[in-house]
Amino acid sequence: MPPVSRGFLGRRRPDVDPARLPPGQYFTPDFPVLSAGPTPHVPLAEWSLTIDGAVDAAVTWSWEELLALPAEELTVDIHCVTKWSKFDTTWKGVSLDTLLEGVETEADYVTAWADGDYTTNLPLEDLLDGKAWIAYEYGGEPLDPEHGGPARLLVPHLYFWKSAKWIRRLTLTGDDVPGFWEAAGYNNYGDPWREQRYWND
Amino acid sequence: MSDDADHQDGNALAGLLSGVFAADITTVVRRCAFCGDASPLGAHRLYRAAGLVLRCPSCSDVALRAVERDGSVSVTWAGVFEVPTPTASA
Amino acid sequence: MPPLSSERAARRVLWREAVVRDVVVETPRARTLALDVPDWPGHRAGQHLDVRLTAEDGYQAERSYSIASAPELDRVELTIELVDDGEVSPYFVEVVEPGDVFEVRGPVGGHFTWSADSGPEPLLLIAGGSGLVPLMAMVRHRAARASTVPTTLLVSARSPEDLLYADELVDAPALSIARTYTRTQPPGWTGFARRVNHDMLRAVAPAPDSGARVFVCGPTPFVELVTGLLVDLGFPPRTIHAERFGPTGGTS
Repeated sequence: MPPVSRGFLGRRRPDVDPARLPPGQYFTPDFPVLSAGPTPHVPLAEWSLTIDGAVDAAVTWSWEELLALPAEELTVDIHCVTKWSKFDTTWKGVSLDTLLEGVETEADYVTAWADGDYTTNLPLEDLLDGKAWIAYEYGGEPLDPEHGGPARLLVPHLYFWKSAKWIRRLTLTGDDVPGFWEAAGYNNYGDPWREQRYWND
Repeated sequence: MSDDADHQDGNALAGLLSGVFAADITTVVRRCAFCGDASPLGAHRLYRAAGLVLRCPSCSDVALRAVERDGSVSVTWAGVFEVPTPTASA
Repeated sequence: MPPLSSERAARRVLWREAVVRDVVVETPRARTLALDVPDWPGHRAGQHLDVRLTAEDGYQAERSYSIASAPELDRVELTIELVDDGEVSPYFVEVVEPGDVFEVRGPVGGHFTWSADSGPEPLLLIAGGSGLVPLMAMVRHRAARASTVPTTLLVSARSPEDLLYADELVDAPALSIARTYTRTQPPGWTGFARRVNHDMLRAVAPAPDSGARVFVCGPTPFVELVTGLLVDLGFPPRTIHAERFGPTGGTS
């Protein structure tokens, strides 16, 4: 064990319900901004979200069309692989169940593409049954660009690198294709409750 | 080229990657695979995400990704890195 | 910078336990810590140490701090400034006492270093806030070596109370120091009182074609601003070395 520095506590971490904290995580009241590159700025008039790949027909929504879809407000805990967890984050967005309704596919996997050339991969079933959203509001306000605005993927049951900021496209695939971090040493799936951080966990 | 404030530069990676080469990594010059520009890693832009991302200062191409864990660091490289070979001098 | 032998390289790579020998109040928000570091291999002016703190529950935080002392000094000094709402800097500014321990790794960083042996070309140093720390190591090293390299230091601080090493920042032969205070100025101040701009650089810097080596350090927005201005003025980008401290100027 490295030497303990007398009097160092880090940020004040109030007692939290340990059942809500996955193994190896520390609670934070903050919302750290972590980005793999410069913040993209796409005018809303040029923004679109597409579902394509191994589907009968690709579907695309403009910004107005996305906002016109039935949306949900949700409160979830989020867990970053860098060991901070934030509780009771509030979002508004469109469920992937809504977006995938009517999309015919035999694919088992999804590659999420984001502005800034970021990708992440998930099994399709991890986007279904109330587990994932395209979120465009956080804390009751439009999602800030530094936190992924105008819209980000939100998949709270996995480590937060899977919740791709600046989401633009979901490509359904027959094979599982490791994304930006999955190919660089992080886990292919990323379940915080089984502490699947790294490629060989 | 980048107008955001949330990055540092490759100087901040010097400690983490000091075990990788026998040379100081900040002075290692990388020739970008995308734009062809050459610059030292100390001048590349460093972003902190789930892991660390180092980007070409000219075009933002990803030069290096580093994932730190207990006992090792996973490093993914792209581009051409000119690494001086060690000499016998102490 | 010559490549290191594997033995010297190994000493810098590992986390080692440093002990605080002395704490000096630099300003109300900044402290200089003198450290004992085992097997200290020496350093070059401009280099930094990675620092790691471990709390009793195992929580760890890492930061990097520039070495303030000249290589010629017999102790290693870090100057750390309090970052508002920071996680680590309050520990160093408000809690640390002589005898306390934490881990360090390094010294590292060859890209952002200057030595009196680097050559006779003029030296231009531009500091924003705590970005002055590594540049002060260069100034102190230059003095220790009695170097006559023509040197200009421009330091930007919010107020006189925030200016690090104020008493030490005096002009000397071939060394000229300019200050700009961006928020509050001393009574009767007739010097610069704004953010660095083209005119300020034209007034204090050597000619862009003088072959000067330029070092810029501070918060990322400051560094991006100043390096852009320097390039506008005709300083060759390859001669400009920058060290960005992150959005708040101390990665908290």
